[in-house]
Amino acid sequence: MTEAVFVPGKRKYVFCSDQEGIKLLFNVIEQVKEEGRPYEIFKIVENQDCLELGELLKKQKMGTHLYVALPYAELEKVRKTAEEIGFTEEETQYIGYGNKVKRIFCCRCHGMNETADVQADILCSQCGLELSISDHYSVFHNAFLGFVAKL
Amino acid sequence: MKWINNLESFPYPFKGSTYRYSNNSIPMKTPLCVEVTPDYIEEMQLKRTLLNHHAERCYQSLPHTITGQWEIVELVIDHLAAQYPDQFSVEKKGSKWTFNNKILEEKQEFTFGGESTFPEEPLAFISRHVQEDLILMMQRDGDLYLDAGQLCFPANWSLAFNLGMKFKCIHHPIPGFKEEGLDDRILQFLMRLEAGNPWERKNWSLMAGDRLDTSLETFDQWGKLRKQVTKENAGELVHIRVEVQKLFRLPRTNGILFTINTHLLSLENLVSNREWLKQFHDILSELPPHITDYKGISLYKNEVLKYLSEKLESGKVV
Ligand SMILES: [Zn+2]
Repeated sequence: MTEAVFVPGKRKYVFCSDQEGIKLLFNVIEQVKEEGRPYEIFKIVENQDCLELGELLKKQKMGTHLYVALPYAELEKVRKTAEEIGFTEEETQYIGYGNKVKRIFCCRCHGMNETADVQADILCSQCGLELSISDHYSVFHNAFLGFVAKL
Repeated sequence: MKWINNLESFPYPFKGSTYRYSNNSIPMKTPLCVEVTPDYIEEMQLKRTLLNHHAERCYQSLPHTITGQWEIVELVIDHLAAQYPDQFSVEKKGSKWTFNNKILEEKQEFTFGGESTFPEEPLAFISRHVQEDLILMMQRDGDLYLDAGQLCFPANWSLAFNLGMKFKCIHHPIPGFKEEGLDDRILQFLMRLEAGNPWERKNWSLMAGDRLDTSLETFDQWGKLRKQVTKENAGELVHIRVEVQKLFRLPRTNGILFTINTHLLSLENLVSNREWLKQFHDILSELPPHITDYKGISLYKNEVLKYLSEKLESGKVV
């Protein structure tokens, strides 16, 4: 999703973003204010873990709508946290920005690599194996599987 | 028995003259999660070597699986002691258990359910006594998750990558699986699995070579053999690989134990049974590309077909 959409009539709204991401949520926050609905803003600083956010989300009652706006690379760990707590797809909007860097799991050494271009093969930064990037994705690792490019 | 020479004990997987993915599970006649074969000692040595040297590849678990792991310990030990009383026994005094593996002459005392009984986790301990690979899937939020496993003999997949993964995501790489709605049907089937009513199924593929440990991690080594298959060497080099998978519901945690017993048979042994030769030839000739690709047969399928055709024509059995 590239743009946050206001979903009216929710019990409460939780916005989760960093300094830059908050700009992408600005319009929706204004609308929530206009409607006079309860809301909460949770600021994420770079490389923060999701423990505190997790605690906040656990406290929410049914009917809370969650907006997350973060760099693509950081979006996934928040998505994972929210999913584990039980937020469904309908109750959440994830807005990524910046470079779509993807994490690639090396099939041989389990090393983690990053790339922006999933079409091109890469060399594993840890074991040097040439990897093709599959569309097999692990939420747990937040990574795509890289497999042997050439036999 | 894994590297089989005796055709009678081979779990021949085919029916009819075509093969497609399906939920081919059947209720188990003898509800045992593990089996002890004449190759026990040899395979335990191989398995333990792999577990010791490649721990991360062969063993993975999430912390919340310990109770489920104990259920597996109990199920496996009870089955071993009941089915093979001359080889295994267990003495239970409350939670003080003594497990005796008489084949390997190893006696282990432990507190069942206790925290620091073994130097390793319960699933890791018991996996060192059985030939099968053991996979634990936990059920929550209407889904199954691969949350722990001991896997020494995978058919080209990575336990480490698949850890914590949902059932459908695990099967995402299988072409046609989702499109045909099979992933959902099998998931629903598994979630209805009841304790005390175990099921089993067979899965097959072909491989060049005779390694049991065809992990994704080592594919760059063993996969190369695919390029060396010719119709002249196919009988010896190419093996049919059959997994007998057994499915048990664990009543306390509501998890599911998959045990996987892998068998290899060379093509030349397979075709010594004339009916199998005919049937396997029909099935392989008709197999659609999306299945041959996924099973890793595409590179050498034509050479195998030539080999099978010649055997059929010559009418003589090796
Ligand atoms: Zn690597």
